[in-house]
Amino acid sequence: MKHLVAYITTGFPEKAFTVDLALALGESGVDSLELGVPFSDPVADGPVIEQANFLALEKGLRFRDVLELSEQIASKVDTLWMGYFNPFYQYGMDALLKKANEIGVSGMIIPDLPHEEAGVYKTQFDTNAVSNISFVAPTDDDARIKELVRDSKKFIYLVAYAGITGSGQSEDLQPVITSIKSHTETPVYVGFGVNEKTAKEKVAGVDGVIVGSAFVNVLLQEDMNYQQKIEKCCSIAREIKQKINE
Amino acid sequence: MYIPSPSKFDPDENGHFGIFGGRYVPETLMPALLELDEEYKKIRFDKEFWSEVDYYLKDYVGRPSPLYYAANISKELGAKIYLKREDLNHTGAHKINNVIAQGLMAKRLGKKKVIAETGAGQHGVATATICALLDLECEVFMGAKDVARQELNVFRMKLLGAKVHSVESGSKTLKDAMNDAIRHWVTNARDTFYIIGTVAGPHPYPMMVRDFQAIIGKEAREQILEKENRLPDHVIACIGGGSNAIGMFQHFLEDKEVGCIGIEAGGHGVGTDKHGCSLLMGRPGVLHGQMSYLLQDQDGQIQEAHSISAGLDYPGIGPEHAFHKDSDNITYDNITDDEALDAFVWLSRAEGIIPAFESAHAIAYLKKLKDIEGKLIIVNVSGRGDKDMIQAKELLHFD
Repeated sequence: MKHLVAYITTGFPEKAFTVDLALALGESGVDSLELGVPFSDPVADGPVIEQANFLALEKGLRFRDVLELSEQIASKVDTLWMGYFNPFYQYGMDALLKKANEIGVSGMIIPDLPHEEAGVYKTQFDTNAVSNISFVAPTDDDARIKELVRDSKKFIYLVAYAGITGSGQSEDLQPVITSIKSHTETPVYVGFGVNEKTAKEKVAGVDGVIVGSAFVNVLLQEDMNYQQKIEKCCSIAREIKQKINE
Repeated sequence: MYIPSPSKFDPDENGHFGIFGGRYVPETLMPALLELDEEYKKIRFDKEFWSEVDYYLKDYVGRPSPLYYAANISKELGAKIYLKREDLNHTGAHKINNVIAQGLMAKRLGKKKVIAETGAGQHGVATATICALLDLECEVFMGAKDVARQELNVFRMKLLGAKVHSVESGSKTLKDAMNDAIRHWVTNARDTFYIIGTVAGPHPYPMMVRDFQAIIGKEAREQILEKENRLPDHVIACIGGGSNAIGMFQHFLEDKEVGCIGIEAGGHGVGTDKHGCSLLMGRPGVLHGQMSYLLQDQDGQIQEAHSISAGLDYPGIGPEHAFHKDSDNITYDNITDDEALDAFVWLSRAEGIIPAFESAHAIAYLKKLKDIEGKLIIVNVSGRGDKDMIQAKELLHFD
């Protein structure tokens, strides 16, 4: 069975909504949930996720709210934190990873903490049984991929194209996938630009997909109420889950 | 001919100055940064590369820039004040020193497209200039607020053939311009060279840009020794990202008798929330590929900076400055908008030199510096004030 990971911006449009949405997605085929931690300067993200980040912060979402919401979700759906390094660093990586362990958050996805900078936190991740998800980009060569995936845990985040989230680009990933698979057994999930239309094609040769902007786009719709948003997200999740396993 | 010299303040293999610096970027960019690092290692001390840089710096930029004895303000202050005239460079500021070398690197790496971020527009103009000279395609990212307050520079960039993107997100200033430049770079890393304008961003930029700007301090040191037969007591420069300052200080940092002073933008005052004092009021954190001092809230959300000068309006600072602050190698202080504006008028009338608003911060510090009498001081006039005329006209009334 190929896996579906869903990204949602935590606390957007409201805190209680995040919990309802997360649990509903967990019942609609989503295997793991990325709770996005809003940041003022999300440089790896396109306009959709950037907008949701700004709006969540504008409404006063604090880092402690993310922790509180995670606690309500992590025991029911496999949960990872996805966010830029600075908010995590300000909380303190040591305290944060202990907290993750305590509430059952299984991993962290930090797009601006590459392999070279992550090394100093390896022991803390391992001691607390939290996976620091390794990224591989289509710009990486075989030698670097070997290095990047050596200590990979849980899954590898394969960036589908050189670019930012939610744009419609596409690249031939087969050489990169072959290279990753020759160096590790860790499952490979592809993210960036995956939606109900592209999922089937993007999952070729890999073990799962990561979907973000497609869900956040629904969250941004002003003419839908919360129930409609949850239903729409769940139907997208079910559709993608089915397509990647056809 | 100027060639950088190895410094005891060089960063480690991965670009760390103590805990600061590093490479905090999406994985997609890592291969481009590693390639740049390799390339820079090859040319850092390479005579052939530097002789090409030297040719342009002399005949195109007009280096060496003069070290001018400012007799009138010296008399007024009872001190000996020398001005390093980076304002006389082609394109009107120190920015061109860095851009020439990075433009030549882009060529060597076979990249035909160049992007840049800009605050006041000086780096954007310098980049557009060098792209015209070296036949490179140029796109400049500039915050919408800066596009409005620096419209002359926007026009200059367009005249030089560059495409200018007005960035509407966030605070619409340099921080947001850099976000969008990084986004563009992530998307086009394979064929695009990012010319960063200051000693910030991921490794190797902070070290590279410092090397490219350190010609300022090397010249100043030789010039002051020739004129005064001794080293200065103080060297003063303004700091936004910190490239003119680090460039000036680099060749004085290891001399115990020389006090290097960096001036941050005090804005409305550090007691308000409108200033650009990342070092004084910020905490270490990660933004734009580097660990450095940042203006941020408790949760690590980046806060907006404020300065009368678009070039100092940035909530971060080059990582080497963060390191020098913590190691007490450089003294850091700040000057408010009002003090800078006073100095802008003062230098114009006393010496007939109109400084950029940025440089006016360094000039203003002459009136704040204690025990100045009898001292020998160099102030870096990092740029000229032409670009600030429209804004100055709104603020100053002489009738």
